[in-house]
Amino acid sequence: MSVLSRKLLRTISYTRGQFVALVVVVMLGVLIYISMNTAYYNLERSQQQFYSDYRFADYFFHVVKAPESVIARIESIPGVVKATGRIQQDVVLLKDNNERATARLTGYPLPMESEVNQLHLMSGRMFDQDSSHSAEVLVDPQYAAANQLVSGQAIQIIADGKKADLLVNGTATSPEFVYPMRDASTMFPEPHRFAIIMLSQRNIQQILGMPGQINQVVVDLAPGVDETAIKSQVEEILKPYGNIASYARKDQISHAYLDVELEGLRINSRFLPLLFFLIAAGIQMVILTRMIRSHRMSIGVLKALGYNNAQIMWHYTSYALLVSLVGAVFGTIAGMGMASAMSNLYAQFFNLPQTIGGLNIQVVLWGFVISGLVGIASGLFASRSVLRITPAEAMRPEPPVSGRRIALEGLPFIWKRLGSSWRMSLRSILRNRSRFAITVLGVMSSVVLLVFASFTNDAVDYLLSQSFKQVNHYDYIVRFTAPVKYSGTIDWSRWESVQKQEPILEIPVKIHAHGRTEDELLTGINPAGRLKQVYDINSRQIQIPDEGILLSSPVANKLGLKTGEVVRVETAMGSGASRTRELKIAAIYDPMMGASYISYDTANHLLGESQVITAVMLKMDAPEVPAVEARLQEMPKVSSVMSPAREQESFLQLLDTMLYFILVMIMFAGLLGLAIVYNTATMAFQERRRELASLRVMGYSNTEVARLLSQETWIQAVVGIALGLPAGKLMGAVYMSSVSTDLFSFPAIIYPRTYFIAALASIIFVWIGQQLAVRRVKNIDMVEALKNRD
Amino acid sequence: MDDQVVMHLEEVSKTYIMGEVTVEALKATTMEILAGELLVILGPSGSGKSTLLNLIGGIDLPSNGQMFFQSQSLSDGGDKVLTNFRREEVGFVFQFYNLIPDLTAAENVALAAELVADPLPVDEVLQDVGLWERRDHFPSQLSGGEQQRVAIARAVVKNPRLLLCDEPTGALDNETGKLILRLLADICEKRGSTVIIVTHNTVIGAMADRVARMSSGQVVEIIKNEHPLPAERIEW
Repeated sequence: MSVLSRKLLRTISYTRGQFVALVVVVMLGVLIYISMNTAYYNLERSQQQFYSDYRFADYFFHVVKAPESVIARIESIPGVVKATGRIQQDVVLLKDNNERATARLTGYPLPMESEVNQLHLMSGRMFDQDSSHSAEVLVDPQYAAANQLVSGQAIQIIADGKKADLLVNGTATSPEFVYPMRDASTMFPEPHRFAIIMLSQRNIQQILGMPGQINQVVVDLAPGVDETAIKSQVEEILKPYGNIASYARKDQISHAYLDVELEGLRINSRFLPLLFFLIAAGIQMVILTRMIRSHRMSIGVLKALGYNNAQIMWHYTSYALLVSLVGAVFGTIAGMGMASAMSNLYAQFFNLPQTIGGLNIQVVLWGFVISGLVGIASGLFASRSVLRITPAEAMRPEPPVSGRRIALEGLPFIWKRLGSSWRMSLRSILRNRSRFAITVLGVMSSVVLLVFASFTNDAVDYLLSQSFKQVNHYDYIVRFTAPVKYSGTIDWSRWESVQKQEPILEIPVKIHAHGRTEDELLTGINPAGRLKQVYDINSRQIQIPDEGILLSSPVANKLGLKTGEVVRVETAMGSGASRTRELKIAAIYDPMMGASYISYDTANHLLGESQVITAVMLKMDAPEVPAVEARLQEMPKVSSVMSPAREQESFLQLLDTMLYFILVMIMFAGLLGLAIVYNTATMAFQERRRELASLRVMGYSNTEVARLLSQETWIQAVVGIALGLPAGKLMGAVYMSSVSTDLFSFPAIIYPRTYFIAALASIIFVWIGQQLAVRRVKNIDMVEALKNRD
Repeated sequence: MDDQVVMHLEEVSKTYIMGEVTVEALKATTMEILAGELLVILGPSGSGKSTLLNLIGGIDLPSNGQMFFQSQSLSDGGDKVLTNFRREEVGFVFQFYNLIPDLTAAENVALAAELVADPLPVDEVLQDVGLWERRDHFPSQLSGGEQQRVAIARAVVKNPRLLLCDEPTGALDNETGKLILRLLADICEKRGSTVIIVTHNTVIGAMADRVARMSSGQVVEIIKNEHPLPAERIEW
């Protein structure tokens, strides 16, 4: 080992606290880089693999009812590789405890091999073409797990007005059910109340009384074809059969949710490590610059002996490089652990067939390359000052640092009030600008991370409280399998415990304007009603117009619509002929989730009906009244009875899993802040050893000297925290707007509590880092420090 | 000058352990320091004079022996006693000044003044050392002699009973050095402080009330000087 390498190791051993702190920052960067990228690539890869292996449809068409023969016609359109016709229908599922759930029955023509949207069997065995008495079915794993369904168990549904028994064969998933959601208006999966039930085409036709018929066409398109053109041709073919809706893969609910998750992961996997690497680079530069300054004399000697600049620069760069390599090794190990934890969590959330774990060698390599580059770059940048040192000059002691005036001194009314120690701290901070910058940046990033870690929680919590406290004021919403007369339910308000009821009429429509068409769900409610109110993303209450549409902005934007324009609205109910009316756009608003609204009367007019409903909202004496619920569950046309209170509970359980990640992030943020503060405070301490020793000689106590040093750190920390809080908010907003889609847009809501916690947590971490650094004050050797200059 | 004793050293010694070598920096020494005297401790480098000064100033603890400031034991007290002693009773002046670079001359002095309940007025002390005009300059803007005068002002402002100077002229040219010595003698006279100057420069002994001569870690002799010379008449 060369003498210089030995000197390097000795330097590391002298500064081991700082070395470890640096390694921690790099380690966290690599850890996050590797875990998030690995999780991202694994999730994306298994998504892509699943989509292509199981032939996920490019386009979806819903009709009222069509003969199976239309498939051949659709397949003859150039660009359509394969079309599969099937039946999918939501029916009532009767649970053992007398509750109702919604079952999305989905039929599959057998054999399945070449069809679009195939099934992947997860447990049990595939259903048969025909079965003697009760049909064999597969259930999605979430519902099966939540309701403890096992193979061989029977379940009961109400379909076509009759009860039917189904035999559970096992569980299965499909690319369209990776994230089993009812529709875009539900925020989270409801494994207790929503099931995907998969069975053979022939069985579903039989159960629903639709022999030879289909109500959906899913198509696989050739790569690169004009989707819109094909869509129009397919719609032309389906027109006589009541084309209800058509949408591309990107608007398919499961896919859209998975994409939001992937996009969030992609952004985080790029941005978060960058933050850590930048800070690691900055702090290495500051540390090395200081180290070189204090090694000035030795560098002069080395040069006098004949070492050249490159050798000496390399010596210092290798310090930074060593930090990077050690950090990368530990970061990789920890990163792989965290990647597998994330993959496990994703496996619980998403129904994907392949195990989504696995090591990504490329990501690991990049982790090493990036951290290595950070080390080399900051090392070379810092050690360029070696070039300016000439041997003769270096042997003389360096002149004293020059104190200078700072801007604050221009404000005498403040400056005059400050004691000498405050003046000293402030001037010292501003003299060491790069150290000031890196400390502030470090603390700021730590605060940003703390805010960012908690804010998704806030946003979800806000969504919940919005939905449960502001928007929905009912205790039950009772949905029907098909529109019914409101008069049939009117006596419910005389039931015990029912305080109030209000009708809802939801109509799926196609909105035609400017030669374009968009599918939308129009919710018809009474503008003067109390049980459901509409709020925009900024929590402003929006009035539902008596006439015309309150249109959601994503749809308005896609159609290029402005308030006051008149559009053609074509109903797309699952049954009966469609009707078209002209409606005015009364207002456009930014929704948080979903839909556009019309008044209840307008909705009836649109259907050419009067006083029909698809759901009833009930306000009760208590959030849950089991007797009423049971009575409702038994009514034949009721498809579901939902209680917001119960829903909220299951959402909150879901949030618990997020807590784990928040804690990890808080830990990372804390370590980052601690490492930075420890390093810069240690540097400040070392640079000012002599000064501090003279203060001790003057009669300052250890505590007073430590306070003086702490004062300096706290000034910087406070600046960092003050900048970090708004920066965290900004980052949250940017993040939310990048993951928002047409289906969901999230508000960047951060509660005051979160700012408070972030500030408090960072204060704790700064304090710890600070304490670790100033504990050396008591070891100041006054005699040694004052004896001679360097 | 009365012969009141402010400090008493009884068999005080100091041993440093440096790796595997034990260095006896100060052999058992007994001496008294008198109120208001100007004591010059003379000796070549390594003779133990700085060690002695550091012990007197309470920035180091003896390995053996007893030290008393008036009636208070310093050798038995812990860090708190020593810190208080330095704070209340001692002013230190070093060869390399050791000013705080981020504070102006006046602020350096004020920093020490803030430590005691009843300091001298900062402006008056700065006037005494002849630096009132340069009070807003930072150390890096001052010459060596000016920096040392600030250091003296900083030591004096607490109005300490002991003013301890370790080679105060060591880094200065002759003329400036004399100016500093004049200042120290004036303080001794005007304020009645005990001033102890440690130096290897024997001629400085001429201005002392007493001279303690040191060699190889021992006080060899203490000479009373009946006719101290004014600092400006010392030549070297």
